[in-house]
Amino acid sequence: MADLRVNICGVELKNPVIPASGTFGFGREFDGIYDISVLGGVATKGLTLEPRLGNPVPRIAESRGVILNAVGLQNPGVEAFIEHDLAWLKSKTRVVANVAGRTLEDYAGICARLDGLVDFIELNISCPNVRSGGMAFGIRACDVKEVTHVAKSALKKTPLIVKLSPNVESIAANARAAEEGGADCISLINTLTGMAIDIERRKPIIANNTGGVSGAGVKPIAVRMVYEASHAVTIPVIGMGGITCAEDAIEFLMAGASAVQVGTQNFTDTLACPKIIQGISAWCDRHGVEKVSELTNTLKLN
Amino acid sequence: MREVTATVLENVQIAENIYSLTFATEEEISVRPGQFCMLGVAGYPLRRPIAICKAERKRFTVCYQLKGGGTKSLATNYTKGEKLSVLLPLGNGFFVKPEEKKVAIVGGGVGIFPLISAIRAFAGEKEIFAYMGFRNKEAVCMEYEMQRGKSLTLCTDDGSLGFHGNAVQAFMKEVNEVRPDVVLSCGPTPMLRALKAAMQGRDIPTFVSLEERMGCGIGACLVCVCDRTGGTNARVCKDGPVFEIGEVEL
Repeated sequence: MADLRVNICGVELKNPVIPASGTFGFGREFDGIYDISVLGGVATKGLTLEPRLGNPVPRIAESRGVILNAVGLQNPGVEAFIEHDLAWLKSKTRVVANVAGRTLEDYAGICARLDGLVDFIELNISCPNVRSGGMAFGIRACDVKEVTHVAKSALKKTPLIVKLSPNVESIAANARAAEEGGADCISLINTLTGMAIDIERRKPIIANNTGGVSGAGVKPIAVRMVYEASHAVTIPVIGMGGITCAEDAIEFLMAGASAVQVGTQNFTDTLACPKIIQGISAWCDRHGVEKVSELTNTLKLN
Repeated sequence: MREVTATVLENVQIAENIYSLTFATEEEISVRPGQFCMLGVAGYPLRRPIAICKAERKRFTVCYQLKGGGTKSLATNYTKGEKLSVLLPLGNGFFVKPEEKKVAIVGGGVGIFPLISAIRAFAGEKEIFAYMGFRNKEAVCMEYEMQRGKSLTLCTDDGSLGFHGNAVQAFMKEVNEVRPDVVLSCGPTPMLRALKAAMQGRDIPTFVSLEERMGCGIGACLVCVCDRTGGTNARVCKDGPVFEIGEVEL
Protein backbone atom coordinates (compact mmCIF):
# COMPACT_ATOMS: atom_id res chain seq x y z
CA MET A 1 0.00 0.00 0.00
CA ALA A 2 1.38 3.35 -1.05
CA ASP A 3 1.75 6.07 1.56
CA LEU A 4 -0.88 8.63 0.55
CA ARG A 5 -0.04 11.23 3.18
CA VAL A 6 1.00 14.66 2.01
CA ASN A 7 2.33 17.58 4.00
CA ILE A 8 1.27 21.08 3.04
CA CYS A 9 2.69 24.02 4.99
CA GLY A 10 3.46 21.71 7.93
CA VAL A 11 -0.07 20.28 8.05
CA GLU A 12 -0.36 16.58 7.30
CA LEU A 13 -3.27 15.38 5.16
CA LYS A 14 -4.05 11.65 5.12
CA ASN A 15 -4.26 11.80 1.35
CA PRO A 16 -4.08 14.52 -1.31
CA VAL A 17 -7.82 14.64 -2.19
CA ILE A 18 -10.00 17.55 -1.05
CA PRO A 19 -13.51 18.33 -2.30
CA ALA A 20 -13.49 21.83 -3.80
CA SER A 21 -15.26 24.79 -2.28
CA GLY A 22 -18.89 25.24 -3.24
CA THR A 23 -19.53 21.66 -4.26
CA PHE A 24 -19.53 20.11 -0.82
CA GLY A 25 -21.22 22.51 1.63
CA PHE A 26 -19.63 21.95 5.02
CA GLY A 27 -19.57 18.20 4.42
CA ARG A 28 -22.67 17.13 6.32
CA GLU A 29 -24.79 16.14 3.33
CA PHE A 30 -22.07 14.02 1.74
CA ASP A 31 -21.34 12.46 5.12
CA GLY A 32 -24.85 11.00 4.88
CA ILE A 33 -23.63 9.00 1.89
CA TYR A 34 -20.07 8.13 2.92
CA ASP A 35 -17.86 8.80 5.91
CA ILE A 36 -16.05 11.98 4.92
CA SER A 37 -13.21 11.24 7.32
CA VAL A 38 -11.68 9.30 4.40
CA LEU A 39 -10.91 12.64 2.72
CA GLY A 40 -7.62 14.52 2.90
CA GLY A 41 -9.62 17.59 3.86
CA VAL A 42 -12.73 19.56 2.96
CA ALA A 43 -12.74 23.00 1.34
CA THR A 44 -15.83 24.67 2.76
CA LYS A 45 -18.50 26.57 0.94
CA GLY A 46 -17.19 30.14 0.50
CA LEU A 47 -17.65 32.06 3.75
CA THR A 48 -18.19 35.76 4.26
CA LEU A 49 -18.40 37.82 7.45
CA GLU A 50 -22.14 38.37 7.02
CA PRO A 51 -24.70 35.84 5.80
CA ARG A 52 -25.40 36.12 2.07
CA LEU A 53 -28.46 35.07 0.08
CA GLY A 54 -26.69 34.69 -3.24
CA ASN A 55 -27.98 35.17 -6.78
CA PRO A 56 -31.42 34.56 -8.30
CA VAL A 57 -32.08 31.17 -9.91
CA PRO A 58 -31.30 29.48 -12.24
CA ARG A 59 -27.82 29.31 -10.79
CA ILE A 60 -26.55 26.39 -12.85
CA ALA A 61 -26.37 25.28 -16.46
CA GLU A 62 -24.67 22.56 -18.41
CA SER A 63 -22.70 22.59 -21.62
CA ARG A 64 -20.75 19.80 -23.26
CA GLY A 65 -18.38 18.32 -20.68
CA VAL A 66 -18.75 21.30 -18.34
CA ILE A 67 -21.16 23.10 -16.07
CA LEU A 68 -21.58 26.80 -15.35
CA ASN A 69 -22.57 28.14 -11.96
CA ALA A 70 -23.36 31.50 -10.42
CA VAL A 71 -24.46 30.79 -6.86
CA GLY A 72 -23.25 34.17 -5.70
CA LEU A 73 -21.60 33.10 -2.45
CA GLN A 74 -24.76 32.15 -0.60
CA ASN A 75 -23.60 31.18 2.89
CA PRO A 76 -24.82 31.50 6.47
CA GLY A 77 -21.90 33.73 7.48
CA VAL A 78 -18.69 32.81 9.27
CA GLU A 79 -20.21 32.95 12.76
CA ALA A 80 -22.89 30.40 11.92
CA PHE A 81 -20.21 28.14 10.42
CA ILE A 82 -18.07 28.42 13.56
CA GLU A 83 -21.03 27.79 15.82
CA HIS A 84 -22.74 24.94 14.00
CA ASP A 85 -20.30 23.15 11.72
CA LEU A 86 -16.66 23.75 12.51
CA ALA A 87 -16.18 21.40 15.48
CA TRP A 88 -17.99 18.61 13.69
CA LEU A 89 -16.01 19.07 10.47
CA LYS A 90 -12.70 19.26 12.38
CA SER A 91 -13.53 15.97 14.07
CA LYS A 92 -13.77 14.43 10.60
CA THR A 93 -10.89 15.81 8.57
CA ARG A 94 -8.70 18.82 7.78
CA VAL A 95 -10.67 22.01 7.33
CA VAL A 96 -9.87 24.36 4.48
CA ALA A 97 -12.01 27.43 5.17
CA ASN A 98 -12.71 29.15 1.87
CA VAL A 99 -13.30 32.87 2.48
CA ALA A 100 -14.41 35.83 0.40
CA GLY A 101 -15.06 39.51 0.80
CA ARG A 102 -16.02 42.73 -0.93
CA THR A 103 -13.28 44.86 0.55
CA LEU A 104 -9.77 44.40 1.90
CA GLU A 105 -11.19 44.94 5.39
CA ASP A 106 -13.63 42.06 4.84
CA TYR A 107 -10.71 39.75 4.02
CA ALA A 108 -8.70 40.91 7.03
CA GLY A 109 -11.72 40.50 9.29
CA ILE A 110 -12.68 37.00 8.24
CA CYS A 111 -9.07 35.79 8.31
CA ALA A 112 -8.60 37.16 11.82
CA ARG A 113 -11.82 35.48 12.94
CA LEU A 114 -10.79 32.04 11.63
CA ASP A 115 -7.10 32.23 12.57
CA GLY A 116 -6.13 29.24 14.68
CA LEU A 117 -9.59 27.65 14.31
CA VAL A 118 -9.12 25.91 10.96
CA ASP A 119 -6.28 24.01 9.27
CA PHE A 120 -6.04 26.30 6.25
CA ILE A 121 -7.64 29.45 4.97
CA GLU A 122 -8.25 29.53 1.25
CA LEU A 123 -8.71 33.02 -0.12
CA ASN A 124 -11.29 33.34 -2.89
CA ILE A 125 -10.05 36.39 -4.78
CA SER A 126 -12.41 36.06 -7.72
CA CYS A 127 -14.95 38.33 -6.01
CA PRO A 128 -15.59 41.86 -7.26
CA ASN A 129 -13.57 44.50 -5.44
CA VAL A 130 -15.99 47.26 -4.49
CA ARG A 131 -13.21 49.88 -4.65
CA SER A 132 -11.94 48.82 -8.09
CA GLY A 133 -15.32 49.37 -9.71
CA GLY A 134 -16.20 45.71 -9.29
CA MET A 135 -13.10 44.29 -10.95
CA ALA A 136 -12.15 41.08 -9.17
CA PHE A 137 -9.25 41.14 -6.70
CA GLY A 138 -7.74 38.19 -8.55
CA ILE A 139 -7.24 39.76 -11.97
CA ARG A 140 -4.27 42.14 -11.67
CA ALA A 141 -1.05 40.94 -10.06
CA CYS A 142 -0.82 44.11 -7.94
CA ASP A 143 -4.29 43.47 -6.48
CA VAL A 144 -3.47 39.80 -5.85
CA LYS A 145 -0.38 40.83 -3.92
CA GLU A 146 -2.27 43.44 -1.91
CA VAL A 147 -5.21 41.26 -0.89
CA THR A 148 -2.85 38.41 -0.03
CA HIS A 149 -0.74 40.73 2.11
CA VAL A 150 -3.80 42.05 3.95
CA ALA A 151 -5.07 38.53 4.62
CA LYS A 152 -1.66 37.26 5.69
CA SER A 153 -1.20 40.17 8.07
CA ALA A 154 -4.38 39.11 9.87
CA LEU A 155 -3.12 35.56 10.37
CA LYS A 156 -0.75 34.40 13.08
CA LYS A 157 -1.35 30.65 13.10
CA THR A 158 -3.26 29.32 10.12
CA PRO A 159 -1.49 28.86 6.77
CA LEU A 160 -2.90 30.90 3.91
CA ILE A 161 -3.81 29.42 0.53
CA VAL A 162 -4.58 31.90 -2.23
CA LYS A 163 -6.98 30.49 -4.82
CA LEU A 164 -6.04 31.92 -8.20
CA SER A 165 -8.45 32.87 -10.92
CA PRO A 166 -7.69 31.63 -14.45
CA ASN A 167 -9.32 34.72 -16.01
CA VAL A 168 -6.03 36.62 -16.04
CA GLU A 169 -3.24 37.86 -18.27
CA SER A 170 -0.50 35.71 -16.75
CA ILE A 171 -1.10 32.95 -14.23
CA ALA A 172 2.63 32.80 -13.47
CA ALA A 173 2.72 36.52 -12.64
CA ASN A 174 -0.31 36.19 -10.35
CA ALA A 175 1.15 33.12 -8.67
CA ARG A 176 4.35 35.10 -7.97
CA ALA A 177 2.26 38.03 -6.72
CA ALA A 178 0.52 35.74 -4.22
CA GLU A 179 3.86 34.40 -3.04
CA GLU A 180 5.28 37.91 -2.71
CA GLY A 181 2.16 38.96 -0.77
CA GLY A 182 2.92 36.24 1.76
CA ALA A 183 0.82 33.27 0.63
CA ASP A 184 1.89 29.95 2.14
CA CYS A 185 0.32 27.99 -0.73
CA ILE A 186 -1.66 28.63 -3.89
CA SER A 187 -4.59 26.70 -5.29
CA LEU A 188 -5.86 26.82 -8.86
CA ILE A 189 -7.81 27.05 -11.01
CA ASN A 190 -11.00 28.77 -9.92
CA THR A 191 -13.72 28.67 -12.61
CA LEU A 192 -13.40 30.23 -16.05
CA THR A 193 -16.05 32.81 -16.86
CA GLY A 194 -18.53 31.59 -19.45
CA MET A 195 -22.04 31.85 -20.85
CA ALA A 196 -24.62 29.31 -22.04
CA ILE A 197 -27.66 30.43 -24.03
CA ASP A 198 -31.19 29.08 -24.27
CA ILE A 199 -31.77 29.74 -27.97
CA GLU A 200 -35.55 29.34 -27.68
CA ARG A 201 -35.72 32.22 -25.21
CA ARG A 202 -32.68 34.04 -26.66
CA LYS A 203 -31.47 34.46 -23.11
CA PRO A 204 -28.60 33.15 -21.04
CA ILE A 205 -29.68 30.10 -19.03
CA ILE A 206 -28.19 31.41 -15.80
CA ALA A 207 -30.02 34.33 -14.16
CA ASN A 208 -26.67 36.05 -13.60
CA ASN A 209 -26.05 35.78 -17.41
CA THR A 210 -22.48 34.57 -16.93
CA GLY A 211 -21.23 31.79 -14.71
CA GLY A 212 -18.08 30.00 -13.68
CA VAL A 213 -17.21 27.11 -16.00
CA SER A 214 -15.94 23.90 -14.41
CA GLY A 215 -15.87 20.20 -15.12
CA ALA A 216 -13.97 17.74 -17.28
CA GLY A 217 -13.73 20.12 -20.26
CA VAL A 218 -11.54 22.64 -18.42
CA LYS A 219 -8.93 20.11 -17.33
CA PRO A 220 -6.25 20.72 -20.00
CA ILE A 221 -6.35 24.46 -19.27
CA ALA A 222 -6.11 23.78 -15.55
CA VAL A 223 -3.20 21.36 -15.91
CA ARG A 224 -1.29 23.86 -18.03
CA MET A 225 -1.92 26.63 -15.52
CA VAL A 226 -0.90 24.46 -12.57
CA TYR A 227 2.30 23.64 -14.43
CA GLU A 228 3.04 27.32 -15.15
CA ALA A 229 2.13 28.53 -11.68
CA SER A 230 4.02 25.83 -9.83
CA HIS A 231 7.14 26.61 -11.79
CA ALA A 232 6.84 30.29 -10.95
CA VAL A 233 6.78 29.85 -7.16
CA THR A 234 8.50 27.90 -4.40
CA ILE A 235 5.39 27.50 -2.19
CA PRO A 236 3.21 24.38 -2.54
CA VAL A 237 0.39 24.23 -5.07
CA ILE A 238 -3.03 22.59 -4.84
CA GLY A 239 -4.33 21.75 -8.31
CA MET A 240 -7.90 21.53 -9.52
CA GLY A 241 -10.04 21.88 -12.61
CA GLY A 242 -12.02 19.07 -14.20
CA ILE A 243 -10.67 16.14 -12.18
CA THR A 244 -13.00 13.17 -12.66
CA CYS A 245 -10.78 10.20 -11.78
CA ALA A 246 -7.50 9.16 -10.16
CA GLU A 247 -5.59 9.47 -13.44
CA ASP A 248 -6.69 13.10 -13.78
CA ALA A 249 -5.54 13.79 -10.21
CA ILE A 250 -2.15 12.23 -10.96
CA GLU A 251 -1.72 14.55 -13.95
CA PHE A 252 -2.07 17.51 -11.62
CA LEU A 253 0.43 16.05 -9.16
CA MET A 254 2.96 15.50 -11.94
CA ALA A 255 2.35 19.04 -13.23
CA GLY A 256 3.44 20.38 -9.87
CA ALA A 257 0.57 20.05 -7.38
CA SER A 258 1.06 18.61 -3.88
CA ALA A 259 -2.67 17.95 -3.45
CA VAL A 260 -5.79 18.24 -5.55
CA GLN A 261 -9.35 19.43 -5.22
CA VAL A 262 -12.34 17.77 -6.85
CA GLY A 263 -15.41 19.89 -7.59
CA THR A 264 -17.92 19.24 -10.34
CA GLN A 265 -17.38 15.49 -10.27
CA ASN A 266 -19.02 15.41 -6.83
CA PHE A 267 -22.26 16.24 -8.66
CA THR A 268 -21.75 13.65 -11.38
CA ASP A 269 -20.77 10.94 -8.93
CA THR A 270 -21.46 11.45 -5.24
CA LEU A 271 -18.73 8.93 -4.41
CA ALA A 272 -16.13 10.60 -6.67
CA CYS A 273 -13.65 11.59 -3.95
CA PRO A 274 -13.38 8.19 -2.22
CA LYS A 275 -13.08 6.52 -5.64
CA ILE A 276 -10.28 8.90 -6.64
CA ILE A 277 -8.42 8.23 -3.37
CA GLN A 278 -8.64 4.49 -3.94
CA GLY A 279 -7.64 4.91 -7.56
CA ILE A 280 -4.54 6.95 -6.69
CA SER A 281 -3.52 4.29 -4.19
CA ALA A 282 -3.99 1.52 -6.75
CA TRP A 283 -2.10 3.46 -9.43
CA CYS A 284 0.84 4.03 -7.08
CA ASP A 285 0.91 0.34 -6.19
CA ARG A 286 0.88 -0.68 -9.85
CA HIS A 287 3.70 1.74 -10.63
CA GLY A 288 5.87 1.00 -7.62
CA VAL A 289 5.34 4.47 -6.18
CA GLU A 290 5.78 4.18 -2.42
CA LYS A 291 4.76 7.70 -1.48
CA VAL A 292 2.22 9.73 -3.41
CA SER A 293 4.21 12.87 -2.53
CA GLU A 294 6.98 11.56 -4.81
CA LEU A 295 4.75 12.25 -7.81
CA THR A 296 4.67 16.02 -7.35
CA ASN A 297 6.48 17.93 -10.05
CA THR A 298 7.87 14.90 -11.85
CA LEU A 299 6.78 15.99 -15.31
CA LYS A 300 9.38 15.64 -18.05
CA LEU A 301 8.71 18.02 -20.90
CA ASN A 302 9.15 16.81 -24.47
CA MET B 1 -30.35 8.58 0.65
CA ARG B 2 -27.87 6.46 -1.22
CA GLU B 3 -26.16 6.05 -4.55
CA VAL B 4 -27.00 2.82 -6.37
CA THR B 5 -26.46 1.20 -9.71
CA ALA B 6 -29.90 0.28 -10.99
CA THR B 7 -30.96 -1.85 -13.95
CA VAL B 8 -33.41 -0.50 -16.49
CA LEU B 9 -36.51 -2.73 -16.77
CA GLU B 10 -38.49 -0.59 -19.19
CA ASN B 11 -38.19 2.83 -20.82
CA VAL B 12 -41.18 3.65 -23.03
CA GLN B 13 -42.97 6.64 -24.45
CA ILE B 14 -46.36 7.16 -22.80
CA ALA B 15 -47.44 10.48 -24.34
CA GLU B 16 -46.02 13.12 -26.64
CA ASN B 17 -42.48 13.83 -25.38
CA ILE B 18 -43.16 11.93 -22.14
CA TYR B 19 -41.35 8.73 -21.21
CA SER B 20 -41.80 6.30 -18.37
CA LEU B 21 -38.63 4.64 -17.07
CA THR B 22 -38.78 1.73 -14.65
CA PHE B 23 -35.62 0.52 -12.95
CA ALA B 24 -34.75 -2.10 -10.37
CA THR B 25 -32.34 -1.76 -7.46
CA GLU B 26 -30.59 -4.65 -5.76
CA GLU B 27 -31.79 -3.70 -2.32
CA GLU B 28 -35.14 -2.49 -1.09
CA ILE B 29 -35.33 1.26 -0.75
CA SER B 30 -38.05 3.01 1.18
CA VAL B 31 -39.39 6.07 -0.65
CA ARG B 32 -41.99 8.59 0.53
CA PRO B 33 -44.55 9.98 -1.92
CA GLY B 34 -43.22 13.19 -3.45
CA GLN B 35 -39.55 12.31 -3.11
CA PHE B 36 -37.29 12.36 -6.16
CA CYS B 37 -34.13 10.82 -7.52
CA MET B 38 -31.12 12.07 -9.48
CA LEU B 39 -30.41 10.00 -12.60
CA GLY B 40 -26.90 9.94 -14.01
CA VAL B 41 -26.75 10.08 -17.81
CA ALA B 42 -23.41 9.01 -19.30
CA GLY B 43 -21.57 11.96 -20.82
CA TYR B 44 -23.48 14.61 -18.86
CA PRO B 45 -21.85 16.15 -15.80
CA LEU B 46 -25.13 16.94 -14.06
CA ARG B 47 -27.60 14.30 -12.98
CA ARG B 48 -31.25 14.78 -13.87
CA PRO B 49 -33.56 15.36 -10.91
CA ILE B 50 -36.82 13.49 -11.56
CA ALA B 51 -39.80 12.79 -9.32
CA ILE B 52 -40.45 9.21 -8.35
CA CYS B 53 -43.85 8.27 -9.66
CA LYS B 54 -44.10 4.71 -8.37
CA ALA B 55 -42.00 3.00 -5.72
CA GLU B 56 -42.36 -0.69 -4.98
CA ARG B 57 -39.51 -1.82 -2.72
CA LYS B 58 -36.90 -2.61 -5.40
CA ARG B 59 -38.75 -1.27 -8.41
CA PHE B 60 -39.14 2.40 -9.23
CA THR B 61 -40.80 4.32 -12.04
CA VAL B 62 -40.00 7.88 -13.04
CA CYS B 63 -41.66 9.82 -15.84
CA TYR B 64 -39.78 12.51 -17.70
CA GLN B 65 -40.28 14.98 -20.47
CA LEU B 66 -37.82 15.27 -23.35
CA LYS B 67 -36.21 18.64 -22.74
CA GLY B 68 -32.63 18.63 -23.95
CA GLY B 69 -29.71 16.39 -24.77
CA GLY B 70 -29.69 14.65 -21.39
CA THR B 71 -33.30 13.49 -21.44
CA LYS B 72 -32.97 12.59 -25.14
CA SER B 73 -29.98 10.42 -24.30
CA LEU B 74 -31.93 8.90 -21.41
CA ALA B 75 -34.78 8.02 -23.77
CA THR B 76 -32.57 6.55 -26.49
CA ASN B 77 -29.67 4.90 -24.70
CA TYR B 78 -31.19 3.43 -21.56
CA THR B 79 -33.02 0.41 -22.84
CA LYS B 80 -33.89 -2.73 -20.90
CA GLY B 81 -30.88 -4.19 -19.11
CA GLU B 82 -28.78 -1.00 -19.18
CA LYS B 83 -27.21 0.18 -15.93
CA LEU B 84 -28.15 3.52 -14.48
CA SER B 85 -26.50 5.44 -11.64
CA VAL B 86 -29.21 6.74 -9.29
CA LEU B 87 -29.14 8.81 -6.13
CA LEU B 88 -32.31 8.25 -4.08
CA PRO B 89 -34.54 8.92 -2.25
CA LEU B 90 -34.13 12.69 -2.12
CA GLY B 91 -36.14 15.54 -0.64
CA ASN B 92 -38.87 15.61 1.99
CA GLY B 93 -41.96 14.36 0.13
CA PHE B 94 -45.64 14.85 0.92
CA PHE B 95 -46.87 14.41 4.49
CA VAL B 96 -50.54 14.06 5.32
CA LYS B 97 -51.64 14.04 8.96
CA PRO B 98 -53.72 11.10 10.23
CA GLU B 99 -56.67 13.42 10.93
CA GLU B 100 -56.60 14.80 7.39
CA LYS B 101 -59.01 12.45 5.65
CA LYS B 102 -59.95 14.31 2.50
CA VAL B 103 -57.04 15.06 0.22
CA ALA B 104 -57.36 17.22 -2.89
CA ILE B 105 -54.67 16.70 -5.50
CA VAL B 106 -54.13 19.44 -8.07
CA GLY B 107 -51.61 18.79 -10.82
CA GLY B 108 -50.61 20.11 -14.20
CA GLY B 109 -48.18 19.04 -16.92
CA VAL B 110 -45.26 16.95 -15.67
CA GLY B 111 -46.35 17.96 -12.17
CA ILE B 112 -48.83 15.10 -12.23
CA PHE B 113 -46.06 12.51 -11.79
CA PRO B 114 -44.99 13.23 -8.20
CA LEU B 115 -48.70 13.51 -7.37
CA ILE B 116 -49.33 10.02 -8.70
CA SER B 117 -46.96 8.76 -6.00
CA ALA B 118 -49.18 10.54 -3.46
CA ILE B 119 -52.37 9.06 -4.92
CA ARG B 120 -50.83 5.59 -4.81
CA ALA B 121 -49.64 6.02 -1.23
CA PHE B 122 -52.76 7.58 0.25
CA ALA B 123 -55.58 6.03 -1.82
CA GLY B 124 -56.27 3.23 0.68
CA GLU B 125 -56.65 5.39 3.77
CA LYS B 126 -57.80 8.77 2.46
CA GLU B 127 -60.55 10.13 0.26
CA ILE B 128 -58.72 11.52 -2.73
CA PHE B 129 -60.14 14.10 -5.11
CA ALA B 130 -57.76 14.53 -8.02
CA TYR B 131 -57.75 17.36 -10.56
CA MET B 132 -55.19 16.80 -13.27
CA GLY B 133 -54.51 19.19 -16.13
CA PHE B 134 -53.05 18.54 -19.56
CA ARG B 135 -52.48 20.56 -22.70
CA ASN B 136 -54.84 18.41 -24.75
CA LYS B 137 -56.24 14.89 -24.81
CA GLU B 138 -53.15 13.49 -26.57
CA ALA B 139 -51.05 14.54 -23.58
CA VAL B 140 -53.15 12.57 -21.07
CA CYS B 141 -51.32 9.59 -19.63
CA MET B 142 -51.35 7.25 -16.63
CA GLU B 143 -55.08 7.67 -16.24
CA TYR B 144 -55.34 4.29 -14.48
CA GLU B 145 -52.98 5.51 -11.75
CA MET B 146 -54.86 8.77 -11.24
CA GLN B 147 -58.17 6.90 -10.91
CA ARG B 148 -57.19 5.17 -7.67
CA GLY B 149 -58.82 7.90 -5.57
CA LYS B 150 -62.46 8.75 -4.94
CA SER B 151 -62.72 11.03 -7.94
CA LEU B 152 -60.66 12.18 -10.88
CA THR B 153 -61.31 15.30 -12.92
CA LEU B 154 -59.24 15.46 -16.07
CA CYS B 155 -58.76 18.93 -17.50
CA THR B 156 -57.42 20.07 -20.84
CA ASP B 157 -56.34 23.54 -21.87
CA ASP B 158 -58.07 23.16 -25.25
CA GLY B 159 -61.17 21.40 -23.93
CA SER B 160 -60.49 18.30 -26.05
CA LEU B 161 -61.16 16.10 -23.00
CA GLY B 162 -62.85 16.63 -19.65
CA PHE B 163 -62.98 20.05 -18.00
CA HIS B 164 -62.07 22.91 -20.34
CA GLY B 165 -59.44 24.83 -18.39
CA ASN B 166 -56.70 24.12 -15.91
CA ALA B 167 -56.70 21.96 -12.80
CA VAL B 168 -56.87 24.92 -10.39
CA GLN B 169 -60.00 26.22 -12.09
CA ALA B 170 -61.59 22.75 -11.93
CA PHE B 171 -60.64 22.37 -8.28
CA MET B 172 -61.91 25.81 -7.25
CA LYS B 173 -65.31 25.02 -8.76
CA GLU B 174 -65.68 22.11 -6.35
CA VAL B 175 -63.65 23.18 -3.34
CA ASN B 176 -66.63 24.26 -1.24
CA GLU B 177 -68.44 21.04 -1.95
CA VAL B 178 -65.45 18.73 -1.44
CA ARG B 179 -64.08 20.66 1.60
CA PRO B 180 -60.65 18.99 1.57
CA ASP B 181 -58.57 18.80 4.76
CA VAL B 182 -55.36 19.25 2.79
CA VAL B 183 -54.32 20.10 -0.77
CA LEU B 184 -51.26 18.67 -2.53
CA SER B 185 -50.12 20.29 -5.75
CA CYS B 186 -47.44 20.30 -8.40
CA GLY B 187 -47.30 21.95 -11.79
CA PRO B 188 -46.15 24.97 -13.77
CA THR B 189 -45.39 28.06 -11.65
CA PRO B 190 -48.31 30.14 -13.04
CA MET B 191 -50.65 27.33 -11.98
CA LEU B 192 -49.17 27.23 -8.48
CA ARG B 193 -49.45 31.01 -8.24
CA ALA B 194 -53.12 30.81 -9.17
CA LEU B 195 -53.62 28.13 -6.54
CA LYS B 196 -51.88 30.23 -3.91
CA ALA B 197 -54.11 33.20 -4.68
CA ALA B 198 -57.24 31.05 -4.71
CA MET B 199 -56.45 29.36 -1.40
CA GLN B 200 -55.68 32.59 0.42
CA GLY B 201 -57.88 32.93 3.51
CA ARG B 202 -59.38 29.47 3.22
CA ASP B 203 -57.49 27.89 6.09
CA ILE B 204 -56.84 24.64 4.24
CA PRO B 205 -53.23 23.47 4.48
CA THR B 206 -51.85 23.49 0.93
CA PHE B 207 -48.54 21.99 -0.13
CA VAL B 208 -46.69 22.47 -3.40
CA SER B 209 -43.82 20.51 -4.90
CA LEU B 210 -41.32 22.77 -6.67
CA GLU B 211 -38.85 22.21 -9.47
CA GLU B 212 -35.47 23.88 -10.00
CA ARG B 213 -32.19 23.27 -11.82
CA MET B 214 -30.02 21.31 -9.39
CA GLY B 215 -26.37 20.60 -8.76
CA CYS B 216 -25.72 18.01 -6.09
CA GLY B 217 -29.33 17.10 -5.22
CA ILE B 218 -28.50 16.57 -1.54
CA GLY B 219 -28.40 20.11 -0.16
CA ALA B 220 -24.68 20.86 -0.33
CA CYS B 221 -24.21 23.20 -3.28
CA LEU B 222 -27.01 25.77 -2.76
CA VAL B 223 -27.82 25.89 -6.47
CA CYS B 224 -31.56 25.10 -6.39
CA VAL B 225 -32.93 27.65 -3.97
CA CYS B 226 -36.41 29.15 -3.82
CA ASP B 227 -37.43 32.33 -2.03
CA ARG B 228 -39.07 31.94 1.31
CA THR B 229 -41.57 34.55 2.41
CA GLY B 230 -39.68 36.74 4.85
CA GLY B 231 -36.56 37.25 2.78
CA THR B 232 -34.61 34.04 3.29
CA ASN B 233 -34.32 31.13 0.91
CA ALA B 234 -34.63 27.37 1.02
CA ARG B 235 -33.00 24.50 -0.85
CA VAL B 236 -35.54 22.87 -3.16
CA CYS B 237 -33.64 19.55 -3.10
CA LYS B 238 -33.21 19.21 0.66
CA ASP B 239 -35.69 21.50 2.44
CA GLY B 240 -38.25 20.69 -0.27
CA PRO B 241 -39.25 19.93 -2.92
CA VAL B 242 -42.54 20.10 -0.97
CA PHE B 243 -43.32 23.35 0.81
CA GLU B 244 -46.36 24.81 2.51
CA ILE B 245 -47.68 27.20 -0.14
CA GLY B 246 -47.58 30.24 2.17
CA GLU B 247 -43.96 29.53 3.03
CA VAL B 248 -42.56 30.21 -0.46
CA GLU B 249 -42.65 33.00 -3.02
CA LEU B 250 -43.85 31.67 -6.34
